[in-house]
Amino acid sequence: MQRSRTGRILLEAGMIVLSLLFLYPLFLAINNSFKSFAEVMTDVIALPKQLSLDNYVYVWKFIDYPRLFLNNTIITVVGLAGIVLISSIAAYKLARTKSKWSSVIYMLCIMPMLIPFQSIMLTVLRLAKDLNLADSTWGLGLLYWGFGAPLAVFIYHGFVKGIPVEIDESAKIDGASGFRLFFSVIFPLLKSVTATIVIIDVMWIWNDFLLPLLMVNGSPSTKTLTLAAYTFVGQYTSDWQYAMTAMVMAVLPSIIVFIFLQKYIVKGVVAGAVKG
Amino acid sequence: MLKKRGTRGDKGSKLEFGLFTLPVILCITIAFYIPFLMTIRYSLTKWNGISKHPKFVGLDNFKQILLGDANFAHAAWFTVKYAILYIVLVNVLAILLALVLDMKLKSSAWLRAAFFIPYILSLVIVGFIWKFIFMQGFESLGHSTGWGIFQLSWLGEEGLAFVSILAVSIWQSIGFYMVIYIAGLQSVPEDLKEAAIVDGAGPIRRFFSIILPMLAPSITISVFMALTNSIKVFDVILSLTGGGPGGTTYSIAYDIYRDTFQNNLYGYGTAKALILFVAVLIITIIQLSIFKRREVEA
Repeated sequence: MQRSRTGRILLEAGMIVLSLLFLYPLFLAINNSFKSFAEVMTDVIALPKQLSLDNYVYVWKFIDYPRLFLNNTIITVVGLAGIVLISSIAAYKLARTKSKWSSVIYMLCIMPMLIPFQSIMLTVLRLAKDLNLADSTWGLGLLYWGFGAPLAVFIYHGFVKGIPVEIDESAKIDGASGFRLFFSVIFPLLKSVTATIVIIDVMWIWNDFLLPLLMVNGSPSTKTLTLAAYTFVGQYTSDWQYAMTAMVMAVLPSIIVFIFLQKYIVKGVVAGAVKG
Repeated sequence: MLKKRGTRGDKGSKLEFGLFTLPVILCITIAFYIPFLMTIRYSLTKWNGISKHPKFVGLDNFKQILLGDANFAHAAWFTVKYAILYIVLVNVLAILLALVLDMKLKSSAWLRAAFFIPYILSLVIVGFIWKFIFMQGFESLGHSTGWGIFQLSWLGEEGLAFVSILAVSIWQSIGFYMVIYIAGLQSVPEDLKEAAIVDGAGPIRRFFSIILPMLAPSITISVFMALTNSIKVFDVILSLTGGGPGGTTYSIAYDIYRDTFQNNLYGYGTAKALILFVAVLIITIIQLSIFKRREVEA
C-alpha cells in the first residue's frame, strides 16, 4: 500500500513535469514576444530584461488588430448562425419524412464529407468570384454555411431520430405546425447537440486557414487573424520578435475562451467526434 | 370541403418539406456539387488561368500525373508514410496518456487541459511557433544544455524535417485523441476491472484482455479521424518547412496547392485533386467495410 502511494505521487509529479514540457513551446513564444530583436537573437530561453509591450503596440497597429478581430467574429458568427439554422431545420424534416426523396436528399447532404477541400478549392474560388462572395467578410461567412452543413446535418439527423414523434403530434393537436412547431418545440430540445456543433464549428471557422487564404486575402481590411499572422511572418521572416507577437495575438482569443469554457469544449468535442 | 382540405394539406406538407430542406441543398450545392463538377471539367483541360478558353485535352493530365510526374509520386509517398506513422503514433501515445489520466490523479483536470490546449490553436500558427523553436530556440537550448540533439538541423535535412512535421502534428492534436480515449475508458465498467484484479490478472494482462477490447469503439473513431486528417496534411507543412528542404516535404495536398496556385497549372492541378478525391473515397470505403465487419463480430 505504502509503495503504491509513493508510486502514485511520483507518477503525478512526472505527469506535471511532462505537461509543463509539453506547453513549453507556447511559453517560449510568449516569452519572446516581450523581447527586443537583439534579445531574441542572443538568448531565446532567458526571460525578457524588461516587460515591454512595444512589440504588441507595433503589431496591433500594423495589422489593425481590432479590425481583424471584428472580421473573425463576423465570419464565425454569420457562418455559425447559418449552419445551425439551415442544418437543424433540414435534418429535422429529413429525419421525420419517410420517403425515397427524403433519403436521397439526406445522402446528398452528407456525402460531401468525403470530398477533400483540396479537390475543389480552385473551383470554389472561381464560383465564389462569380457569385460576388469572394473578397468579402460576409461572403466568406456565407460560404461556411455550405461547408459546415454536411457534418451538422449528420449530427442533427442522428439526434432527431431519438426524439419521439409523439411530441410533434401533440404539438400539432395544440395547433402548432411548420416553423412554429420546429422553433418552439423541437429546436429547444436540440440544445445539447447545438452546443456541440457550435463548439466544433467555432474552433474550425475561427482557426481556418486555406479557405480565408483563397477568399479574403485580397485586401488587408478583409483578412482574418490567422491569415494576417501568416502574411505578417512572410514579410518579416527574420523579425522573430514581431512574428512571435503576432502569433500570440492570433491565438490569445482561443486560449482565453478555452480556459473559461474548458469543460464544455472538451465535452462538445467528444460528443461531436463520437457522433460524427 | 373535407377532400379539398386533404389535398391542400398534402400540398402543404410537400411545400413545407421544400421550405425546410431547400436552403441546405442550395448551400451544399454551391459549396460542393457545382465546384466538384467544375473540377471534373477542368481536369480534362490544359489551362493556365489566363487564356479565356481552357484547351480540352481529354485524359492527358491523368496519364501524365500517373506515369511521369515525379513530384506527385514523391508527394504521394510522403503522404502515405506520414499517414501511417501519424495514425499509429498519435493513437498509441494518446491511449497511454489517457490510461494515466484515467487514474484520477489530483491534477488530472489541469493535465487534461494542458494536453488539449494545442488542439485549439490554428495549425498554421502552430507551425510558425515550432519553426521559431527549431531555428532559434534549439540553438539556445543547445548552448545551455550541450545536448547534440539540439544542434541537428531539424528543418534542413530531409529525414529530420519529416520527423519534425510528424512530431509537431502529433503535439498539436494528441489532446483531441486523448480526450476521446478518456471518454472511452470511463465507459469501461468498474466491476469488470475489479473482477480481473480478483482473478489475479496483472496490469498488462488487464490492459490487453479487458481495457483494449472495451476501447474498440474509441479506436475506430480515432483511427478514422486520424486517417482523414493525415491524408489532407497541408497547413503545418506550409508554415513549418514550406515544402523544403529541396522540395522533400511536399504532401499531396500541398503539391496540388502548388500546381494550381503557384505554378498556375489549373487543369493539371485539378486533375491531381480529382485523383486525391478518388483515393480518399477508396480508402474510406475500405475502412468502413473493415469496421462494419468487426462490428458484426463484436
